[in-house]
Amino acid sequence: MEFHFNSKRKVNMEIFWIISGLTIIGLIGFGLQVFAIHSYTKTTRRLGEEQDSIETFPPISIIKPLSGLDDNLFDNLESFCRQDYPKYEILFSIQDMNDPTYRVVENVKKRFPEKEISILVERCNEGLNPKVNNMLPAYRQARYPYILVSDSNVMVDQDYLRRIIQHMQDPKVGLVTNLIRGVGAKTIGSLFENLQLNSFILGNVCFLKKFFNISCVVGKSMLMRRCDLEAIGGLRAFKDVLAEDHFIGENIKKKGQEVILSNYMISNVNEYWGLKRFLNRHLRWGKMRWKILGYKYFTELIENPVLLSLPCLLFEGPSTRALILIASVSLAKGIGDFYIGEKISAQLHPLAYLLSPLKDLLMGMVWFMSIANDTVVWRGKQYLIGENTALFPYLQKGVWTWRDRFADRIRARIA
Amino acid sequence: VNLRRTVDLFGQAGFDVVAITDHVVNGESTYGKVANRFKFSLNKGNFDAYFSQIREEGKRALEKYGLLVIPGVEITKSSLSSNMSAHFLLIDIKEFIPASWNYEKIFLEAKKQDALIIACHPHHTSELMVIDTLYLWNNRQKYARYIDAWEIANRDDVFNVISLKKYPYIAGSDFHRVRHLYSWKTMLNCEKEISAIKQCIRYNRGVAITLFRNGVPF
Repeated sequence: MEFHFNSKRKVNMEIFWIISGLTIIGLIGFGLQVFAIHSYTKTTRRLGEEQDSIETFPPISIIKPLSGLDDNLFDNLESFCRQDYPKYEILFSIQDMNDPTYRVVENVKKRFPEKEISILVERCNEGLNPKVNNMLPAYRQARYPYILVSDSNVMVDQDYLRRIIQHMQDPKVGLVTNLIRGVGAKTIGSLFENLQLNSFILGNVCFLKKFFNISCVVGKSMLMRRCDLEAIGGLRAFKDVLAEDHFIGENIKKKGQEVILSNYMISNVNEYWGLKRFLNRHLRWGKMRWKILGYKYFTELIENPVLLSLPCLLFEGPSTRALILIASVSLAKGIGDFYIGEKISAQLHPLAYLLSPLKDLLMGMVWFMSIANDTVVWRGKQYLIGENTALFPYLQKGVWTWRDRFADRIRARIA
Repeated sequence: VNLRRTVDLFGQAGFDVVAITDHVVNGESTYGKVANRFKFSLNKGNFDAYFSQIREEGKRALEKYGLLVIPGVEITKSSLSSNMSAHFLLIDIKEFIPASWNYEKIFLEAKKQDALIIACHPHHTSELMVIDTLYLWNNRQKYARYIDAWEIANRDDVFNVISLKKYPYIAGSDFHRVRHLYSWKTMLNCEKEISAIKQCIRYNRGVAITLFRNGVPF
């Protein structure tokens, strides 16, 4: 009996050390991400100083797909109207005249009569990707040789266009994308969202660029030559994939051109998000990465040391060393996130970083759920996603009908 | 939600007009005593500061968003009994009116100041934790002549009794949290000018209510 007890203890001990080892690997990975962000944001200023000397500024068409009121929408849109840039047009693209954003863009247009601003209202159902559908009418109307795709929830400084166009001086460059930071959190959902953007997303983007020279394309800001985009089939070629930004970048690379990750940081303003919206977005992004990365998606688990440290509670129970491991990993993660936040001026209260480990646990759940099914809900529509994020209509057939009816019944009960 | 943030939220969302109506609570009831004790209520002492703050924010809102901000108060006569409770808005008042006065006195003073009088959530609501405010509705024969409009919808509630009685109507949002932005709103067919707005509501022509939603059911 005593022998059995000792051997069980020994096995638990071994599992504890394996978990600790994995957690430490995760922490080292996180440390490298922090280092990558540190070095990448350090070069921002240096590059900025150099870039002021260049003087060619070709005209740009900015495409803004709009749907629903984003936080800070008026100021976000206004920041694009205040660009210190000689010639550019802004195309606000809306699918529906009754969309509340219509009033906002009308006000913005009235406020800047001297700017080339067009409001395009057209219901376009050419593809399944609602964002691409929304952008297509604007893309057809765009007049200038450079196309900038920019989401409605980003805010930029006055020199944004001047800075990003510099990279296009080199004809080998086919696409310029930007680093993104989440700012302005006023609710728990938006706090989690900004922590995730600033730590996991920004960390991975910088890490991949720094150590593997891979530029991740983030659809919130993509600058391209119109001729290059046309050469890969135009926006229409990406109307049926979920990760249109990723595949635009991939096709540009296949064409033999470079994708540049500009270290000019833009702000993604998330103020009043609910927890549900936060989880839904990252579930969608998780499924997208799962479909693109395949087995490489499992490496993301290593990037979550807080989650990795938890299983020791299962094997050890709340023992002193298990609690010390979890507490120290959570502390290290919180401090790391705080450092990143300060580095990129994320405007978060220092105490907000105490919630960073909780956010990581939620993201751990989302990681597992992303693998569990192939349906996504985006802008109120449900889709099935296949290989390489190909979208398919979600048809309520066979067993799915019953599943939906069951879910609807539960929802109705809760309501 | 503080005043500046409220103005920004409505401005960012493209609204034309917003009336800011903080509570003036009657001091006689227990509820009122607590509200006054913890400074949750407007009173004669802080009324001028409240108004000047609204005026300042109004200037900023008009300049930045083209949003017209109208000052007002919500007279809050609360009691533990719903039949004794009443809330009503006085929009565009110029001087402080205490909630402790009787109804007629408040209405007459508001009329003297050319303020708009609106009965808030006058019937049973779906809120479980809030006491309904039924006094004005129960005494409508007596008070309807003073009231310029009745709230026909508030947050998620719609009061069909207002429609049945053919009273002049308006939607209200009772904005206490950010999520309350998405609620019933009023559309007025008139100039964006305080007197035109008041006239439009009083005559109750060209008034429509709409359920304002974001359109992003994530």
